[in-house]
Amino acid sequence: MNNKIPNFVKTNQFGLLILVIVFICIFSFSTDGFTSRFNIYALSRVVALDIMIGLAMMVVILTGGLNLSLGALGVSAAMFGGWCMESMGIPISITIILVLAFGSFLGWINGFVTVRTGVHSFIVTLATMSIYFGFMTLLTEAEAFRKLPEAFTDFGSLKLFNKYISPLLIISVLTCFVLYYIFKYTDIGRKLIAAGANPDAAELSGISVDRMFIYCHMLSGFLAALAGIMLTARIGAAIPSMAGHLGFDWLLPAFLAPVLGGTLLSGGKVTVFGTMLGAILVTLINNGLYLIDVGEFWVRFFLGIILLGAVLLDRAREYFTVKNSIVS
Amino acid sequence: MSDYILELSNITKNFPGVKALDNANFKLKKKSIHALLGENGAGKSTLIKIITGVYNQNEGKLFLNNQEKSFSSPNEAMNAGISVVHQERNLIRRFSVGENLMLTNLPKNNLGLIDYNTVAKESKKWLDIMELDIDPNTIVSDLTVAKMQLCEIAKALSLESKILLLDEPTSSLSPQDTKNLFALLKRLVAEQDVSIVFVSHKLEEVFEICDEVTVLRDGKNACESEQITNLNRQKLVKLMIGRDEQIIKSKKNIDFTDESLLDLQSINTDLGHKNINLNLKKGEILGLYGLVGAGRTELIKCVLGLDKINSGQILLNNKEIKIKSPKDALEKYKIGYISEDRKKEGLILMHDVLSNAGITVWSNLKKILSFLNDSIVYNKVDPYVKQLEVKTPSYQQIVSNLSGGNQQKISVAKWLASGTDILFIDEPTVGIDIKTKSYLHELIIELSLKGTSIILITSDMPEMISLADRIITMKDFKVVGETINNHNYEEMSSSIMGNIHE
Repeated sequence: MNNKIPNFVKTNQFGLLILVIVFICIFSFSTDGFTSRFNIYALSRVVALDIMIGLAMMVVILTGGLNLSLGALGVSAAMFGGWCMESMGIPISITIILVLAFGSFLGWINGFVTVRTGVHSFIVTLATMSIYFGFMTLLTEAEAFRKLPEAFTDFGSLKLFNKYISPLLIISVLTCFVLYYIFKYTDIGRKLIAAGANPDAAELSGISVDRMFIYCHMLSGFLAALAGIMLTARIGAAIPSMAGHLGFDWLLPAFLAPVLGGTLLSGGKVTVFGTMLGAILVTLINNGLYLIDVGEFWVRFFLGIILLGAVLLDRAREYFTVKNSIVS
Repeated sequence: MSDYILELSNITKNFPGVKALDNANFKLKKKSIHALLGENGAGKSTLIKIITGVYNQNEGKLFLNNQEKSFSSPNEAMNAGISVVHQERNLIRRFSVGENLMLTNLPKNNLGLIDYNTVAKESKKWLDIMELDIDPNTIVSDLTVAKMQLCEIAKALSLESKILLLDEPTSSLSPQDTKNLFALLKRLVAEQDVSIVFVSHKLEEVFEICDEVTVLRDGKNACESEQITNLNRQKLVKLMIGRDEQIIKSKKNIDFTDESLLDLQSINTDLGHKNINLNLKKGEILGLYGLVGAGRTELIKCVLGLDKINSGQILLNNKEIKIKSPKDALEKYKIGYISEDRKKEGLILMHDVLSNAGITVWSNLKKILSFLNDSIVYNKVDPYVKQLEVKTPSYQQIVSNLSGGNQQKISVAKWLASGTDILFIDEPTVGIDIKTKSYLHELIIELSLKGTSIILITSDMPEMISLADRIITMKDFKVVGETINNHNYEEMSSSIMGNIHE
């Protein structure tokens, strides 16, 4: 029937791409400075982080779960990194490895508790969010690490491509490619998706679902820790409140990017590049609205509306999947 | 003329690319039980969905009590007295029987709160009509499958339905429950002025209970309101599949004194199995027969490590093994399990054909750094998907869009591809059309001839007797009998039922 329309046009990502282009056009014409070198560079630094936390949430949504501890975890890992560099004098490269391992470990705790207790990860990560953030505040006495090695902070303010793009964005885009590769071209990636889509069937087909779910949470912790490092490099210091109280500032973009991108909340379907486009869209709207100068509260209002719209889209997707299957 | 309570004439229904119904007719006499038969994809479900208002026909007319009607929603059809009882349960498991029965019309007291006394009283009335001995306050999930089925019918009756559509009502019932159900249906027709449309793949049942038959084939009437007395099994099958049925029988010489391949010795489990002893020879099809709730599927799941075995031994080639998980079973011991519930446990419905057929072999196929692409998987599974003649437009097709028969073929294909030595096959042909069913039967026999040892669980007695080499009977989580199958239906079935009712 609709064979004339190429397949990619029907995908969610294509719709997102169109939206991104539309918003770029709107903001370019309606605001001063949207296309300025300064603004594009600032955008690239913000979008890099939004992509990373979107991916960190996406890999847990894959299991049909959530990771509310994302922000607290990322900040805790970043503070750990600050302590390593400033107080212990550990070299940058080793610090990064330690931080990523620490993030994965915190993710492992989330996964292990979720799998062992059978409690929904919403509750588990709600608890660990508070635990991680509380513990971190206790240990750091809410003090920031501001004397980080220059090589580290310089990287955060490096400008590439004729000073338009931050290297942080390159890290995020590379991470997208790596994740895409894992989900598309590896045995383990397929198993993660299968376990998320139908745990019972996956288990009976010889997949260790518990282990897969723990891997997803570990990956989420890893990516959140990476986001924490990137944020530290960007602002040049590790500050306990850099993602807001309990890491709340990360939650909205973390949900928006994957849900806009076409990741099913019920699990079993991920779209890495959809999440990337979702994050870009969120950052664009955020930035554009600030430039139009509508005020902070309106920006939050709009982002909330967009999240609701995206969730409705998610319901519609499920509905159509079911509807299609009725016709046999 | 006014004999008919429901009449559909010259119904045509088009879906993109297919004509699901092509000038089909259907007439339901008042106070009769009418069989609606056809292979999967013949248009039965579409016809039912038109009757119940899920779809609208493109052409043709629907008359209810000689008045032309068209329903735009299932609700309208329900209000007009048409109820459908699906294969899948439609009860809310955590609610009580009474709440489920009264759900659409819960009685309220003066404060606007639910009046639970009336709920119990009202629902008791309908349960009594059905002579069902169930307390309306029982939580649905505590009922047996058979009782749930009966509650669904009670629910339909409580909506004052005059037309009941039953879609494969016996697929999960034991012979005894089936008998009870049929007695009830006959009484409903006689006493409650109900007319019934009965959809089933089990032809024995059709002959037992139905008055008239309508057969659909490729969306057209292969026969229309034929008296059941004018037909026999052969004629009916020919109407359905357009050719004669082939009877399959396993002919093998298994030496039962041979050493066993798999040996369960005095197994006791957490789920309540008591002292289970059974052994499986190489290349044998060992049947596990029993009523629903006899603990057969549960036993297999314990063997696979999903539930705990408290004592006893499992021997493979005379060596004791401990299976921790299905992953263990597959990777270490080459044992696979084809689930009875293909939608929930057998397949990942939202994923495509390729990933469903390949899921068991990913581990074996992966290259360095866990690399695996579609073409590696495709090369491995394609021969099996082809061998099973799975009808799908492509490997990228989402499995939920395929017919039940093709879905079942895929859940079999993935285990063929995995190359297991031992296969547990659980109810392989529930809800599967005759053509695919006999095809799967041939395949199971062929597999065992090639050396795969099979434990077959089925509640379909003819299927058991045509396939198994030896039949173990289970009851209440215990083994109650063992019979070497001589493929004589009369002898075997009476011996097995004898074991059960001892």
